[in-house]
Amino acid sequence: MSLFGTSSGFGTGGTSVFGGATTDSHNPMKDVEVTSPPDDSISCLAFSPPAMPGNFLIGGSWANDVRCWEVQDNGQTVPKAQQMHTGPVLDVCWSDDGSKVFTASCDKTAKMWDLNSNQAMQIAQHDGPIKTIHWIKAPNYTCVMTGSWDKTLKFWDTRSPNPMMSLQMPERCYCADVVYPMAVVATAERGLIVYQLENQPSEFRRIDSPLKHQHRCVAIFKDKQNKPTGFALGSIEGRVAIHYINPPNPAKDNFTFKCHRSNGTNTATPQDIYAVNAIAFHPVHGTLATVGSDGRFSFWDKDARTKLKTSEQLDQPITACCFNHNGNIFAYASSYDWSKGHEYYNPQKKNYIFLRNAAEELKPRNKK
Amino acid sequence: MGRKKKKQMKPWCWYCNRDFDDEKILIQHQKAKHFKCHICHKKLYTGPGLAIHCMQVHKETIDGVPNAIPGRTDIELEIYGMEGIPEKDMEERRRVLEQKTQAESQKKKQNNQDDSDEYEEDEEAGPSFQQPAVQPQTSYITPMTQPGMPPVHGAPAVPPGNFAGMPPMMPGVPHMMPGMPPVMPGMPPGMMPMGGMMPPGPGMPPMMPGMPPGMPPPVGHRPGMSHMTQVPPVTTPGILSQPAMTAATTPAPQPAVTKPLFPSAGQAQQAVTGPVGADFKPLNTPATTSDPPKATFPAYTQSTASTTNPSSSTVSKPPATVTSKPATLTTTSATSKLIHPDEDISLEERRAQLPRYQRNIPRPGQAHMAVPPVGPMGGMMPPQQAMPPQQPGMRHPMHGQYGAPPQGMPGYMPGGMPPYGQAPPMVPPFQGGPPRPPMGMRPPVMSQGGRY
Repeated sequence: MSLFGTSSGFGTGGTSVFGGATTDSHNPMKDVEVTSPPDDSISCLAFSPPAMPGNFLIGGSWANDVRCWEVQDNGQTVPKAQQMHTGPVLDVCWSDDGSKVFTASCDKTAKMWDLNSNQAMQIAQHDGPIKTIHWIKAPNYTCVMTGSWDKTLKFWDTRSPNPMMSLQMPERCYCADVVYPMAVVATAERGLIVYQLENQPSEFRRIDSPLKHQHRCVAIFKDKQNKPTGFALGSIEGRVAIHYINPPNPAKDNFTFKCHRSNGTNTATPQDIYAVNAIAFHPVHGTLATVGSDGRFSFWDKDARTKLKTSEQLDQPITACCFNHNGNIFAYASSYDWSKGHEYYNPQKKNYIFLRNAAEELKPRNKK
Repeated sequence: MGRKKKKQMKPWCWYCNRDFDDEKILIQHQKAKHFKCHICHKKLYTGPGLAIHCMQVHKETIDGVPNAIPGRTDIELEIYGMEGIPEKDMEERRRVLEQKTQAESQKKKQNNQDDSDEYEEDEEAGPSFQQPAVQPQTSYITPMTQPGMPPVHGAPAVPPGNFAGMPPMMPGVPHMMPGMPPVMPGMPPGMMPMGGMMPPGPGMPPMMPGMPPGMPPPVGHRPGMSHMTQVPPVTTPGILSQPAMTAATTPAPQPAVTKPLFPSAGQAQQAVTGPVGADFKPLNTPATTSDPPKATFPAYTQSTASTTNPSSSTVSKPPATVTSKPATLTTTSATSKLIHPDEDISLEERRAQLPRYQRNIPRPGQAHMAVPPVGPMGGMMPPQQAMPPQQPGMRHPMHGQYGAPPQGMPGYMPGGMPPYGQAPPMVPPFQGGPPRPPMGMRPPVMSQGGRY
């Protein structure tokens, strides 16, 4: 499968050494395997922004490292560099110009990695592991937002050791997303807060969760005018809620859908319900991808309220996913997410990151 | 747009008091919600039909109509669509709707009526879209099937207030949800489909469309709501979840912030949410509200709820369990199983607690990884600060995993290959090519200087 929109019959990209053409369940979708994946579960993935030519992928893992690969047009992936934290890396993000990568870790710090010099320096400190990190570029300020299990959301000017602002949250930060001027944070105990970032970040609204289970991932979507207008929230109960901030008709516009469950309509056996580990919106089509503990990814069209595709099942949960800046590449990571506890963890099991051509499969379905 | 006419003749479901655009949809609703066999999911046509089916095919008796509100669970009453509804219930409904509409009109005046108009339009268009969505349980289209909120699903529950905010004239404006509370035909104009509140079976139940922030209060205004009250309680939870929405939807106010996206930064959602939940219950008969979920679905046990939500008990749990202790989830139920550890903490938190992932901040001076580039590395940048093996608590000793990395990591680039157990072939590309990242990143990662 070609990675970048041209049908060159690419296959697995030729970078996989382990017989990329095998059909074993580690890569049932026959997607391109990224070389030199991390040694432990991958917690986050992020592609370089449009400002940077080419595609660079950053992946953080539980092996305390953050790796950078260049993804070439022919699908080849070239490991470029790596940085370390002293604790598992939970989130990564890019600056808008693509020169810096920010990494957040269980070691309670966040670092700024200058790719040109390959130097990383600490830019943030929390009292607990930092779960989310996002770059905010506003007309009158730029900063890094970190959300932590210490129940605070802090904003950092990378030049200063003290945060520009610190906002208290009701609970530990579990996931967040930023699309200026909106930021959404989902916390433990099903907390959900929307922040507005104009002038300076401030809490805009606390929303009663549309979901009944623990929040796990969130992603903001935009409207036709490219302005953020709502978000998709995933929980551990195989369900995603689509929620608009100011819908004309909330009862009708907001909805939830089930996903990442086994057994379809077969009621003979109990249905297995898996957590939704990550959600990502296609930057061009506005359709979304969800990945779950069941080891599948699915593509959805939220406007037509239909499912576009569900993948085959991988032998491990899919823990992270992201699209590149133009939506041609969908990257997803296959590694253990702890959904079955400690017993099912096999440190020897290889972790993978796959790349898939996303240009066609995520086209919206025509509205009925 | 013929609203008046619709309002009067609006079909409604006797079992759950929801409103529908037309009888066909009502019937589909009844078949799916009230006349569906919980064992084999076969859809029957009437209550008695369902009872007979269960007896003959499954040898099981059912004691009431599934998903019906208390008082409306009579399995022997043969009701099909709008046919068979006892006259007194019809009248009661007309009265209730009338009262609702009146109360609503008062409310409306205070709030933005303009918006209401828009909502009406939308809502009316709603049902047709929503209806089909109701069916598929497991497909994506299943809108808001609140786990464990069966009541919400089936019952209009949402207190009339739900609709509050809708322009007083909402003559029968459905509310788009098929589940709209029954708008009795013959309801005087201006009768607000209170039922509307119902949350939408599909979609956002709680959201009361167009509910102005002040909505909850209106609910309390309806004296005649007692009848409806039963329902409301049920949906309360659902409603709760979306109160914010209402506030949001009522742009009315002042766009405090520049962008329309955040019209009124100061909206007190809390006010809306609190009262929504609290008001609904107390406002309506406390008795009925007290144990909504159970009472409403006598015919079905947890299993029904389970099919849509893994653990009904969990549903109630999260909201209630606000303690910081890792509350436990109920992950297993009759028909579904949540693949997640029992504690209600995130997977990452659970994993991070393990000793192998505990790390100390490297002592200063340890910044450089003591890992010598393994052969092929060709002098790749040594360090990256890996955790030196000496660090206490390093999982290093624990599972070789870390042991390997130190060698391989520095550079998972060329030299790194071997440790990964990857065949050397992988390496060549890098080695041959620019051995180091063109960016010249080589220097140790952590620049001590950067530490705060």
